[in-house]
Amino acid sequence: MANFKVVGKPIRRFDALSKAVGATVFADDFKMPGMLHGKVLRSPYPSARIVRIDPSRARALPGVVCVLTAADIGYAKMVADIPGQTGQRERRGSETPVLAWDRVRYKGEAVALVAAETEEIAERALDLIDVEYEPLPGVFDPLEAMKPGAPVVFEPDNIVARWRIRKGDIEAGFAAADLIIENTYRVPFVEHAYMEPESGVAWVDERGVINIRVSTQVMEHFRTVARTIGVPQNRVRIQGAFAGGGFGGKEDITVEVFLALLALHTRRPVRLAYTREESILAHSKRHPYIMRYRTGVKRNGRITALQAELIADSGAYPYLSPYVSLYSTVMATGPYRIDNVWVDTVAVATNNPFTSAFRGFGGPQPCFAYERQMDEIARALGLDPLEVRRINYLRTGDTTATGQVVHSAVLLEESARRALEALGERTPDRGPIRVGRGFASYFQSYGRLMWLHDTSQAWVGLELDGTVVIRCGAPDPGGGQLSSLCQIASEVLGVPLENVVAYTPDTALTPLAGTTTATRQLYMSGNAVLQAATAIRKTLLERASRYFEEDPDDLDLADGRVFVKNDPDRSMPLADLVRICAAEGLPLSHLAMFKAPFRDPIDPETGQGDVFPDFTFGTFAVEVAVDTETGQVEVLKSVACHDVGRAINPAAVIGQIQGGSHQGLGYALMENLIVENGEIKTPSLSEYLIPTSVDYPTTQVILLESGTGVGPFGAKGIGEPALTPVAPAVANAVVDAIGVPINELPITPERVLRALR
Amino acid sequence: MLPEFELLMPRTLPEALEMLAGRAPDGMPIAGGTNVIPDLRGGRYRPACLVNVAGLPELSGIRQEDGMLVIGGGVTVAEVLEDPLVARYAPVLREAARSLASPLVRNRATVAGNLANASPAADMAPPLLVLDAEVELASREGTRRVPLKDFFLGVRRTVRQPHELITAIRVPLPPATARARFFKVALRKADAIAVVNGAVRVDLGDSGFCQTARIALGAVAPTPIRAYEAERALEGHPLTPETIAQAARLAAEATRTIDDIRGSAAYRRHVTEVLVRRALEGLWSRE
Repeated sequence: MANFKVVGKPIRRFDALSKAVGATVFADDFKMPGMLHGKVLRSPYPSARIVRIDPSRARALPGVVCVLTAADIGYAKMVADIPGQTGQRERRGSETPVLAWDRVRYKGEAVALVAAETEEIAERALDLIDVEYEPLPGVFDPLEAMKPGAPVVFEPDNIVARWRIRKGDIEAGFAAADLIIENTYRVPFVEHAYMEPESGVAWVDERGVINIRVSTQVMEHFRTVARTIGVPQNRVRIQGAFAGGGFGGKEDITVEVFLALLALHTRRPVRLAYTREESILAHSKRHPYIMRYRTGVKRNGRITALQAELIADSGAYPYLSPYVSLYSTVMATGPYRIDNVWVDTVAVATNNPFTSAFRGFGGPQPCFAYERQMDEIARALGLDPLEVRRINYLRTGDTTATGQVVHSAVLLEESARRALEALGERTPDRGPIRVGRGFASYFQSYGRLMWLHDTSQAWVGLELDGTVVIRCGAPDPGGGQLSSLCQIASEVLGVPLENVVAYTPDTALTPLAGTTTATRQLYMSGNAVLQAATAIRKTLLERASRYFEEDPDDLDLADGRVFVKNDPDRSMPLADLVRICAAEGLPLSHLAMFKAPFRDPIDPETGQGDVFPDFTFGTFAVEVAVDTETGQVEVLKSVACHDVGRAINPAAVIGQIQGGSHQGLGYALMENLIVENGEIKTPSLSEYLIPTSVDYPTTQVILLESGTGVGPFGAKGIGEPALTPVAPAVANAVVDAIGVPINELPITPERVLRALR
Repeated sequence: MLPEFELLMPRTLPEALEMLAGRAPDGMPIAGGTNVIPDLRGGRYRPACLVNVAGLPELSGIRQEDGMLVIGGGVTVAEVLEDPLVARYAPVLREAARSLASPLVRNRATVAGNLANASPAADMAPPLLVLDAEVELASREGTRRVPLKDFFLGVRRTVRQPHELITAIRVPLPPATARARFFKVALRKADAIAVVNGAVRVDLGDSGFCQTARIALGAVAPTPIRAYEAERALEGHPLTPETIAQAARLAAEATRTIDDIRGSAAYRRHVTEVLVRRALEGLWSRE
């Protein structure tokens, strides 16, 4: 497979045109006859006791078909633990009430559901549900929440998770240092702000199966839905649609359980679609962190010890906080060889909006800290920031802080050199406008925690005319996941790309492929499709070898034909070969399961063990102009250089990296979900600003392809890594421009001016 | 979600004024709807009915008339951006139009609506204030003109009566010796409400001394304001670094800023001074 015909080509994704012209049918575009409209009543208080819920006035409103409170659904709780796996151990305390009954713990928590003939009636019904609240003291700061006597949001002490790494001898490491650099870093809540708010339609079909057509990153939530509402797992079917973005915000359950309950109770189709404001109120956020870093270094910049304390605000319920904080712990050191490491991470419950998965899953926060820290080390020692990193960068064969050996290529130095070179000539200062440059390197896992025993299945089949169908339950939230699967099958089976069809996921139709999270889908489902297609290829070539009287290794498939490699005129159309195979009963389809490596959990006392299948490495470099009188920061140029292992579709990879880069620039400079006393002060996209197309110039992308990843054809993952190094690179550039440290995101004009004073 | 409302569709201005009079105080004129619809959807008010004035022929177009630039009450911000008369006589308004929201909003939002909504941060207000614009208000009873500086009463409050409609904005043609600049600091480059905005206009005549000076500021007080003290510090004086610095300081002192999610009061005051100084410096310098 040395010379690729389809893989590695910047092909136009099959879903691109229909999205561009508005023809793609998203979850909210789906209508059913007799469909009802659902609405959710939400708590106006961040912390309160519910004294009484009386839905009788709402039930009496003409057009209201159903009002559900916790009492009507058996006080159901939903397990919000990591979804979609077979080998997991369930965490204690991970369940959340579907509808609150005795207490609300955050503003926006669901209290009741309504289904009505029209959306207007459903909305009016919400106003008629009488809920009496008794406001309770809340706690809104993780540091406060850890103090004795703080209001308890999560039993018994608000501690949702703790993780630690103990590697080497930390005391000796600091004793060996010439200098110790100590700083505290802070990052804010961030909203996913995907284009498509949460939405779906559910109905009970003639078999009694609850169908839920929904925008999600996780098809396997059908299990959680079944368990939560008390039906067998084979009675819930989830139909995916192309999702209008997810970024981790559709990894947790959003509307699925509400839809299932309303459909089950009304026996009619029900639609539920959040407004933008409800979306911001109701779904998870990126974790704010307080990160205290202490790094011991030799005069030449070599790190002797690193001690980090990470404090994450988990919000009112755990959701994925235990795992996000674990990722932060594992990646707390950055991609550096450090013999003596001590990391303490804690995720703490508060009455703030709950936090969970967001592109990077706990990777970007410590990256901000460790890459700011590297520049502070360079500043203190008077060394070049690249030199300080260069002598500490991980290399293939080194071990991470958890003792995991890195087997794939580590092109950190090359990525940094290439990114910095590409910035070109330095823009000069102009009066009060100071220009600065900065960069950040990172490592970020792809694939899930290995003790989750992750698997993906894909079914590939040839039709009698030589066309191909892929059935793989991989949600595609816009990254081109399905299109890449088509490219892989096209490559292996020698079928023109336009002759390959991949269905959007449906638990009744497509084999389970696991979540589109953790930058795992190309790695896992790409490998599953590769396995399935390879099995069919073997069948085809074996049968063809008898026909041509040649060894199968001397035959190849391309452009819809099978042929003899060194005599391509001896060939036949693939469709003919397929018909021969079919007539002889040879299998023309294959269901493959790809398994990630299975490991046991890390040692809870030392954090030692293998955690992830592999890592992606790279560097982001940026030039900024800082207006020292107004504090405004302008991005002048930016370059992202990542080793993606193998770019299956370079156009899609570049798109992912540019999108991630700009999302990261927003994280650095603009995005700030302001929460005061549990209330979101930026409740709509008028207050919560995300970058527009004119805010930053296009990021230049440099792809490195080491071919050493564990994905298909040596691919690594790039979905999340694209974002991880951006914010610290920008911060380093601003610090370079103004000469004083900035250790908090976002870097707003006011924050810059404060730093300058 | 959008509540139910009654929508009246007048075909002529008299018909529209009749409807507004008949439905006062509950009739709300709507043109682009870029403020009215979000307000309805957000439940900020629930009028009995909307009177659609978009497309009324009497409100259309920008024209020159008796030494005035007359911007019809139905003129959109996008039209201002394209208009040659505006480009010639009021480029400062064009600058402001370019910074208002996004192309989608500019295609619908009207200049009159931006003023009528009376947001302290309205981007159309500062340039029209420095141009000494007047607001023409019509009702069944007749027409009156109100200088824009007297038009705003408070946050989302103006002198417009519920039965009145803004039929035009009238701008005296400025002398060729006058120059004006708009400025804005926002938290992103497009589709963003100003942290501070404003405009300056200075007429140096032939003498080199400021004959007229106008400084208007937005998002620093309950309404868009004029910085009269700062204007007086310039009038009768040449534009020097010292007079400019003094005017900028006085402009900052004219603010009554508050802390909000977009910026602190102190930052707004500070940045007002910087931006007024830069705008004045920039009037006769080439960038």
